[in-house]
Amino acid sequence: MDVIDVIVKIITWPPLWQLVVLGLVAPLGVVVGILWFERKTAARVQRRFGPLHVSPRIGGAIQLIADLMRYAFQEIIIPKTVDKGVFLIAPLTALVLSIVPVVAVPFTSVSHYWPIPMEYSVLISLALSTISAIFIVLAGWASNNKFSIIGGMREAYMITAYELMIILAILSVSAMTTSYNFVDVVLAQTGGKWFIILNPLAFLAAFISVLMATSGFPFEIPESENEVVAGPFTEYSGLLYGVNMGAAYIKRFVYSIFITLAFLGGWLPYGPGDGFISGYLIPSLVIIVKATILMAVFSFLRAVYGRYRLDQALDFAWKLLFPLALMGFGLGLLEAYIGLIG
Amino acid sequence: MSGFVSTRGQVGFNDLKIPGAWSRKIGKDLYEVFIGPQHPGSGHMRIIIRIDGDVIVEADPDMGYVHRTMEKLGEGREWIKGIPLYERMAIHDACNVTLPYVRAVEQLLGIEAPLRAKYLRVLLCEINRIAAYLYGFGIFGVFVGHSTMYMWPFGDREVWIELADWLTGARLTHSYPVFGGVRRDVPADFTNQLRKAIRYMRKRLEEYRKIYVDNPVIRARLEDVGVIPKNLAIELGITGPNLRASGVLYDVRYNDPYEVYDELDFEIPVFQEGDALARVWQRVEEIKQSLRILEQVADWLDKHPREPILHDRFWKTAPPLHKKIFETEGRAKLVPLYALLKVPKGKAYARAETARGEITYYVESDGGQKPYRVRIVSASARNAIVFKYILPGHRVMDLPTIYGSIDYFPPEADR
Amino acid sequence: MVPPKPVPKTKPRRGIFHAFKGNLEALMIGVKYFIDPKRFTLIYPKEYNKLREGYRGFIVLIKQKCINCASCARICPAAAMKMIRIPEVDEKTGKQKVKNWPVIDYRRCIFCGYCVDVCPTEALYHVPYHDVVYQNMAEMYLDLESFQKPPEYKAAEEGIPVRYIVDEERGLVKVPYKEGEK
Repeated sequence: MDVIDVIVKIITWPPLWQLVVLGLVAPLGVVVGILWFERKTAARVQRRFGPLHVSPRIGGAIQLIADLMRYAFQEIIIPKTVDKGVFLIAPLTALVLSIVPVVAVPFTSVSHYWPIPMEYSVLISLALSTISAIFIVLAGWASNNKFSIIGGMREAYMITAYELMIILAILSVSAMTTSYNFVDVVLAQTGGKWFIILNPLAFLAAFISVLMATSGFPFEIPESENEVVAGPFTEYSGLLYGVNMGAAYIKRFVYSIFITLAFLGGWLPYGPGDGFISGYLIPSLVIIVKATILMAVFSFLRAVYGRYRLDQALDFAWKLLFPLALMGFGLGLLEAYIGLIG
Repeated sequence: MSGFVSTRGQVGFNDLKIPGAWSRKIGKDLYEVFIGPQHPGSGHMRIIIRIDGDVIVEADPDMGYVHRTMEKLGEGREWIKGIPLYERMAIHDACNVTLPYVRAVEQLLGIEAPLRAKYLRVLLCEINRIAAYLYGFGIFGVFVGHSTMYMWPFGDREVWIELADWLTGARLTHSYPVFGGVRRDVPADFTNQLRKAIRYMRKRLEEYRKIYVDNPVIRARLEDVGVIPKNLAIELGITGPNLRASGVLYDVRYNDPYEVYDELDFEIPVFQEGDALARVWQRVEEIKQSLRILEQVADWLDKHPREPILHDRFWKTAPPLHKKIFETEGRAKLVPLYALLKVPKGKAYARAETARGEITYYVESDGGQKPYRVRIVSASARNAIVFKYILPGHRVMDLPTIYGSIDYFPPEADR
Repeated sequence: MVPPKPVPKTKPRRGIFHAFKGNLEALMIGVKYFIDPKRFTLIYPKEYNKLREGYRGFIVLIKQKCINCASCARICPAAAMKMIRIPEVDEKTGKQKVKNWPVIDYRRCIFCGYCVDVCPTEALYHVPYHDVVYQNMAEMYLDLESFQKPPEYKAAEEGIPVRYIVDEERGLVKVPYKEGEK
């Protein structure tokens, strides 16, 4: 019994729980589901069936498992001309760094279950989330392929487009609550006063800039197939390519968690109680479900939109999104000033 | 140019001016990218672009990867065998592509198809035209990243292919027109299904507009991109919808009407802007006009049933069995005369408007069983030059946009 | 007699609310098809398209009707149809003689149907299917015996036959094929 106790303790130790279970296992499950959903949604809109033949009774739901296995057992080809060290390290680091911000956000209001102190969690998590993009640029550079380099440069351009907007948009909730603590932000939304209703401008700005950050569909520019094949990932194959793609989706999942906490009320309407299940597991699940729904919305856009041109995306970011994010910030300040927020 | 006659060291590799096979100094800040021939956005061709940052400064279209010596092959075959051969230039536009060949040979033979056969040819030509435009839309859609616009037109194209299949017996390579007529009459109930398809297509065009042409993202990508000014369009000799989208009124169906196009009431839309968006609108409007033509053809075919569809010169040699089969099945069997057909000595020239522009055939006969020379100038071959002159100054991401909006089809260009 | 007429056009202008309206329209139509996809995909091995009579599929010879005229071999554009010489005994006179019979090479055939159309006695006909599997290239060169039998059609055993009809709302509609329809 002692051994099981110890194991349970280790697993439910907040930093480990959040990094491994909520940061790696949950996203993998969500990503597999969301990828299936994305393909099915696109197929429905496009009057097709989508994945079907792997498991016809459940609509081909385990197609993604089959794909994953194919990636896992495919030979990883490392071309002679690449910068081998960086080539190998870049996707793995990008994956790890896209998971890390999960540790810096609270999944419950019970302070016992926070991995780190949450006083500055908004700032810390946002700062951590911006690092992984650099490694995509590095991956493109290390590949020593013209398409990869162009793709990497595009990613670099896109960083300049979305990074500030995403921070500005999410920080507007700090302006509303005068706190850098995600817990305060969530608790300020009690009673149905979700910030998506109070501050739709900031939510829209955050939504669009997350689309940009994770090459979601109107902004799927770095990997744009018709000019740069697979962008920074052109030379990758097998599991390494899978890791690259997985990193992009995990990044989107992490951003979805941020948006859930900042605008969609976090674990609300559930009030965390005592104990592991009521105080930690259920609020985490509520957040994951909300984030998954948000990701489903991201996925739906694939069926409706084409992609913007690179310069148009930059234009869009700085001429439309930046003012939008500023307006959201201003609106937040105004609402805080007139005392609309608890 | 001395070509391959090389004593060692005399004529270097660089003297062979094959695009992409010679090296030369490019500007210091330029980056040379080979788009194609094995590239998701190139088709069976290569475009060599040199870019400065994100802007293309030079572009070399390098075509010929699917060259199949069509013209030479044609010289070794009997006249009738040219029809299945030449339709392989653009199999999804088969009737349009082979029709001028048939008409040129008919000129040499001094015969003309009966009226019903002409209407049937127009029927299949317009079905082909719509299907080919939809094919172009699909490719264009996926080039700008719009996967729905890739699937939808390919799905709707199936409607027209199904109709063509029903009419001719083959989905793509119809081999439908033959010298002096066509091979089959319309099946029973065909015109009703056709009318349904026309009404369906009109609805779908509106949905295409909503999800694609008027979609702000797509519109931003297409508007003012790849502008071909009117004078440049004339100077480069481009043809087809691309030319008309640049404000030049030139359509073989209008300038040199063939078959029954001068008896049908339809419009030739001419757009003024000449950018990628205008080219899309041009095609949308032309599909609408094709639907109009099809309606009139369907009405005419209903009013004039059971008229001959093969010229008397061939039909009178047909045995009674042939006539019986035509009466019962609507299938005009070929008379054995076709295999041994000798075409009188002479030269003939014919042209037609395919989905991608004007195609011209120059046919010369020395009085034998095989053509002496068949020269083909296809529409895509004339449009390919656009890449060289329009791409510079655009961004790299505009390349697929322009490629797709030109609706360039390498197998047709390379012949 | 109404000749075609040119009509100058310009692409529709972009209104003030275009960005809003266009996005909304695109999203609405996406949702519309998400709810009702109107698909007409053929799930191939489980159902197959029963092609209409007149489809130019594989070609079969009726030897009794053949008059050995070689028209089919002469008109074949791909030189797939060939005449082979087969010695046989004349039933009436009992003499040895050599006759020419057509055989087909499906490695070359392009299914243009010229041979069927040119045959003066209707000795050739198309079967309305095209998805036939051969194990190797040599099998595709039929001899006189196998040319007289319709090729084996595996898909027919596994799937249900459907037929497409044109529909105003949904484009094509699959209807189950009823025996005896043309």
